Amino acid sequence: MSESSSVERRPRGPDDSQSPATPLVATIPKQPPPESRESIRVRQFVILSFWAIVVFLGLPIWWWTTSVYRARLPLQEMEDWAEGKSCRPTFPLEIVVESLLLQEADINRIVRATQHALDDQNDFSPHHLRLRVGSTYAAANSSQQQWQYDSPGQNEPRYQESNRPKESALTVRLAPQSGLATARAELRTHSTLLYILYPLALAPPASSTSFPLANFVATQLQDLFAEEQAIIAHTLTLNPSPYGSHQPPASAGQLASTSNVPMTVSKDHRSGRPRALSPQLAARLASRATRALKYAPTYHITISLFTPNAWPSSWEIESAIAEYLTPLLDSASIISNFTIDTQTQLYASFSPSVQEPQYDADRGVWTLRQEDLSSFINAAEWPLSPSIGSGPTLNFIIYVPDSATTPLTIKDSQTTSWLIPQWGGVMILNPSLSLGGTSAQASKLSKEDIQPALLVFSHQLLSFLGAPQSPPSIPLQLQTLTRVRAASLFQSASSTLGSLARLTVALPSIAIPKTVSTAVEVTLDHLEATCNALKDGRFNAALEHAKTAEIAAEQGFFEKSMVGQVYFPDEHKVAVYLPLLGPVGVPLIMSALKELRRMWLTRHMSHPGP
Amino acid sequence: MRRFYLLFLSLLLAVAATADPQYEEHLHLEPLPQGLLLASFNFKSNATLQSFEQQHFKYIPRSLGQILQHARTKELHLRFSSGRWDAESWGARPWDGKKEGGTGVEVWAWIEADTGEEASLRWITLNHALSGLFCASLNFIDSTRTTRPVHTYEPVGDHSNTSLSNLHLLHGTLPREVVCTENLTPFLKLLPCKGKAGISSLLNGHKLFDASWQSMSIDVRPVCPESRSGCIVEMEQTVDMVLDIERSKRPHDNPIPRPAPADQLICDTSKSYSSSEACFPIDMSSMQSWSLSDVFGRPIKGSCLANDIRGDRSESVCISVPYEHQVFSSQGSVERKDPSSNHRCYVLPENDAFEMALPQQESQAVLPRPSPPLYASRSFTGHGQERGGVQSLLTNPSPNAAVSFTYFETLPWFMKPYLHTLKAQIAASPSQSQEEIIKSIYYRPALDRQRGTQLELQISVPPASTVRLTYDFEKAILRYTEYPPDANRGFDVAPAVIRLHPDPANPSSKAVYLRTTSLLLSLPTPDFSMPYNVIILTSTVIALAFGSIYNLLVRRFVGADEVESFSLAKVKARIKGRFAVIKDRFSMKKEKKTQ
Repeated sequence: MSESSSVERRPRGPDDSQSPATPLVATIPKQPPPESRESIRVRQFVILSFWAIVVFLGLPIWWWTTSVYRARLPLQEMEDWAEGKSCRPTFPLEIVVESLLLQEADINRIVRATQHALDDQNDFSPHHLRLRVGSTYAAANSSQQQWQYDSPGQNEPRYQESNRPKESALTVRLAPQSGLATARAELRTHSTLLYILYPLALAPPASSTSFPLANFVATQLQDLFAEEQAIIAHTLTLNPSPYGSHQPPASAGQLASTSNVPMTVSKDHRSGRPRALSPQLAARLASRATRALKYAPTYHITISLFTPNAWPSSWEIESAIAEYLTPLLDSASIISNFTIDTQTQLYASFSPSVQEPQYDADRGVWTLRQEDLSSFINAAEWPLSPSIGSGPTLNFIIYVPDSATTPLTIKDSQTTSWLIPQWGGVMILNPSLSLGGTSAQASKLSKEDIQPALLVFSHQLLSFLGAPQSPPSIPLQLQTLTRVRAASLFQSASSTLGSLARLTVALPSIAIPKTVSTAVEVTLDHLEATCNALKDGRFNAALEHAKTAEIAAEQGFFEKSMVGQVYFPDEHKVAVYLPLLGPVGVPLIMSALKELRRMWLTRHMSHPGP
Repeated sequence: MRRFYLLFLSLLLAVAATADPQYEEHLHLEPLPQGLLLASFNFKSNATLQSFEQQHFKYIPRSLGQILQHARTKELHLRFSSGRWDAESWGARPWDGKKEGGTGVEVWAWIEADTGEEASLRWITLNHALSGLFCASLNFIDSTRTTRPVHTYEPVGDHSNTSLSNLHLLHGTLPREVVCTENLTPFLKLLPCKGKAGISSLLNGHKLFDASWQSMSIDVRPVCPESRSGCIVEMEQTVDMVLDIERSKRPHDNPIPRPAPADQLICDTSKSYSSSEACFPIDMSSMQSWSLSDVFGRPIKGSCLANDIRGDRSESVCISVPYEHQVFSSQGSVERKDPSSNHRCYVLPENDAFEMALPQQESQAVLPRPSPPLYASRSFTGHGQERGGVQSLLTNPSPNAAVSFTYFETLPWFMKPYLHTLKAQIAASPSQSQEEIIKSIYYRPALDRQRGTQLELQISVPPASTVRLTYDFEKAILRYTEYPPDANRGFDVAPAVIRLHPDPANPSSKAVYLRTTSLLLSLPTPDFSMPYNVIILTSTVIALAFGSIYNLLVRRFVGADEVESFSLAKVKARIKGRFAVIKDRFSMKKEKKTQ
């Protein structure tokens, strides 16, 4: 196109299209009379008021009726607990040192020195041992009480148990003994008394500063509580802070060997201690973590007898439980309650995927392959449904093999029992040869027949509960379990709070009912109480508070109405109401646009631009 | 049949007195007319109450025992049934109707609780747990399907008077439930031998649910025998079924029935039209040969816990055929035959398979069965979507004795009976007054969406007459969400339960139960796209109204000739103008660049 024509036409373009005030064509016959200012104003008001109703009434109502209720949660506080900023739990263990043969000043000196040694050795500061002087020579004299160390177990009843304060974790009794070459420590299986027997040569000289006895006692104590310390450190460091930078605590290298000697802990105190976690202990911590069940206030124990035949059809399980299992459960009842039920199942063979037992001619036994043990449980046919009621079920299974394949053992192994983490234990029970045949007498398993199985099960039970394998003393193990459980519950309740906080932030469409905020409040209160109780060394109270906190936290997190997500997506709602929204929305928007354009034009006309 | 059960019972009592078997099982076979076979399986296990409460389970399964203890249920009766017992041709029901339930699932239990609300809560717990155990929809038994019958059921266990005052009877039905293999499998798992040995090895879902009629039952009750100290908990499981022998014998790979070739037909020559062309075949079905593996698909696999304390094995399988008939059984089994009666029983071999065969008989192999004391049938009357009626026909076949019974009906809340229309008439003589037939009425009206109607009538039917019981009802309209997924199929109404009172003159007579079939009620069913239609229609109406009012308010009204008319040329010119402007700008830019 040529330049001249474009120049010529340029002013005409906007003129004929955008300015109706200057008519180009004179043939338009009639124009509507100019609108009065009044009617324009009325129209503007009408449009404005409709829009005002939509914006200030319609949208809020829509918003309000379709939104979900979200209770207010103390998110920051919850995060703080989860990150460990709110509380740093400590585990001060009180240990009473006493000796009826030493003067008070001597004991005080020993205690001071031992405490010093302990503090030097300890490198996980939240868990520390506090020594305290218990009853002394003078006190014993005043109460006319005498004791002499003879042999373990004989003079315990004479000792006044009530003298000891309630929450002391351990009592150390110093007993100088003549005729000993080195110091020796002894711990009974059923008490919280640690005897330290030492030769008189190690007795504290009044002036000396080096203290072999104190070092020995400190080492002993450290060894006793090393595993507990490791477990607690492990539990608390699962969360990166505040212990994230902390190295796992040092522990005794020979722990594994001592735990195999149930009665006596006797060791040379000069043995060097490694500063890092020993491989055995690390492995034990890992296996403990996989085996132990989550804490529950009640555990159900089901002991089942399975056999592929019709015999043995009966067993003396009631008396066997009363003798071998009930004492353990009674002492563990401070931590959780237990219910026991038993069943016998005939014609119940192991699962068909397991290879048939093979005869090992050398040993004269039938063997199962080790890799088959994981699929040994015949889940399809064995009635091992969980017990009714809250709480997990632990299954202990006694399997009596067919007489044709007796004795049945595991290939390349002497044992006949194994453990299924967090589920239960299995024991293949090869009954004595007298059993069998068809007479009714022979088809009964006696109490003695079941005994090995129940002993194995009680060991497995302790590991399911998460009890440490050392020290060998059962009361000490249970005490340790109290602290470990309190720590893990505390930790899990805190992290549940954190998860809940993150969940609330991450899912804005999820409903948060009032019960959740109440549960969160309860959890926070009880976490605080747990923390304080731990600081004061009241571990049983701490456990109670931690239990409550954990239950409340779980309740909050698993609130049923939160799980029910939005049924109808927003698109769906809009689609259903489109017949309403469309015809209403289009005139509203069009009229508003038209009016705005008219206003813009009039302003443009009255103030023409440069 | 009843004679047999009496004998059986006395035998049981004798055994119970000498030894204390903890588990026993029996199978009783009896040919029925028309080539059918009634098979009654009975499994009975018990445990001392003490060991049961301490949760040491042996023959009473742990899964069920824990449920009962958790729900504090002292006595439980659970029934799974399908099909119809044809009383006209088959006679009286097995077990006097005590071990059968109405079509679908029926459950009733005595639950220990201080208050009725507590009992209801435990009842819900019980049903939820049972529903998981038996893979049935028992969890749908809510308050609308639960009743508390007053006259119909009595505890069969031994309860002390003090505990009886705390027991609450609750009864629930699910007539819609289809009983199938998934219910049989957990049922078999409750048995000590789990279908791997003993008579339970015969039970298989393909045969059981192919039967003309079948009923599975579980009864748990406490029993306190006077002879010995301490109570026991007894659990009894039964399976009764009526199998069509010919149908069962059909090979698996060729299950389609085909007519026999003409030369194999045996004609009834007594018919007048009988000739070389026309043949009326004689029913040979009741004379045909059969064996256990023909009918059940497999033989019995040895015995299950049949040894009692002394090491003797008890008889597990019995059959009722005429004394002179031959019955072959496999080796290793012992036959005991009593010349005075028509029963013969077998001791099963311990480990080998047991097979029993009846050769083809010359005469009818069917023993006459006692006739039932009452025939009952129930049906709907009326038409339309609004109202309807129910009619029950109750026939007393006895020529000289009147029969009195309790008629118990539970109706869903959406079926609202008019009690004033309840009428009972003797079909032959309508003049007889109603008071002589209906002795008393116990009526608990329905509450919408909370509970159903409960109706218990004490009725007496004179000898050799039929009573016609009728009432009218109204159909309610349900809410949108209350309809089941296949709403047009209709709603099942639970069968009526009839309990015949024992004859006061005859102390040995016992209560007899019978049940009618369930009914299918069709309710007015809406079109389920309705809510969306309503929303869309309403929205359109609102939008129309809004649009017109809004336009009235906002538009400017001018004369018809003052409207700026729409012309194509004008639009064209306008577009052209715009186009030219853009073009000019473009060329201007080009120019600038070149400059």
